[in-house]
Amino acid sequence: MSKGGKKGGTSRYGALLGKEMLELARSMKLVWVPLVFVALGIMQPVSIYYMPLILEHGGNLPEGTVIEMPMPLPSEVMSGTLSQFGVIGILVLVLVYMGVVSGERSSGTASLILVKPVSIMAYLGSKLTAMLLLALLSLLCGYLAAWYYTDLLIGKFAFGEFLGSFLLYGLWLAFAMAATLLFSTILRSSAGAAACVLVLLALLSIAANLAPHFAGWLPGALNSYAAQAANSTIEYTDVFVWVIVCTVLLIAGAYALSCTLLRNSATID
Amino acid sequence: MNDELAISKLIPIIAPFLVIQLILMVIAITLCIKAEATRGPKPMWILIIIFVNIVGPVAFLIAGRRNER
Repeated sequence: MSKGGKKGGTSRYGALLGKEMLELARSMKLVWVPLVFVALGIMQPVSIYYMPLILEHGGNLPEGTVIEMPMPLPSEVMSGTLSQFGVIGILVLVLVYMGVVSGERSSGTASLILVKPVSIMAYLGSKLTAMLLLALLSLLCGYLAAWYYTDLLIGKFAFGEFLGSFLLYGLWLAFAMAATLLFSTILRSSAGAAACVLVLLALLSIAANLAPHFAGWLPGALNSYAAQAANSTIEYTDVFVWVIVCTVLLIAGAYALSCTLLRNSATID
Repeated sequence: MNDELAISKLIPIIAPFLVIQLILMVIAITLCIKAEATRGPKPMWILIIIFVNIVGPVAFLIAGRRNER
């Protein structure tokens, strides 16, 4: 199925992207995925602020217990929010997109689209763009909500730190989305693809924490760089540049590899 | 939970979550009713969507429908 030349690729890409965005709006993903991130983003500052009250009324503490809890710094709350996004947020995004290619192949939609003169690069490119847009929009909404509540309840958080940590974390989410696209192309089963992506992401971030000398240049390090950017303790070293370059290359590589794989395999199951 | 003071203090905590839960619930119920095929009976999903906070609607939206188009 290597139909479709390079000619008119951009216009087809535009049409396909329009279809993807329409699909996002129609399935309400454009609304509910950002809302989940907003809930996660609110949860962190609110639960930290009200923790003494919650413990007082919810926990089975004996009468007269006095709980002294230092209020954490705004930057700690914001980096805590990012780690919330890293667990539940990425889980939701990966589960939403686990069948992005494999689902369309098994339902026959992919073969319907690819018999038209549409290049595989435009087809997968439109999907990847829609995935990145949804991921970044959700992250922006959630992180803005977290910023608002942190500002309201805990303290000021500077815009520079917000932007820096947002961009670094957005790159990590973009990597997660590219990996989802790749595994959804490799595997027929969407659940298997989701499991592979989640294991890969977990391994990368654990490796970057445990063995920074060996895995410090891999995308997994973006997690801790984003947290450092929130804490404004980030150092722009050579390794930092390597992490960025490596992640961008891996995203491009995942896209190219999925194009090759889809071209060389039958689109009809 | 034992006195009114606690409840008035708890309202600002839960208000944003109530709003989000409500929007998610409306979206999930609309899509559930419209869906041609769900995994498992529809009434079960509607009960889950209504009674499980935030996680219920999200669970339906991710895993509830057999084919999305």
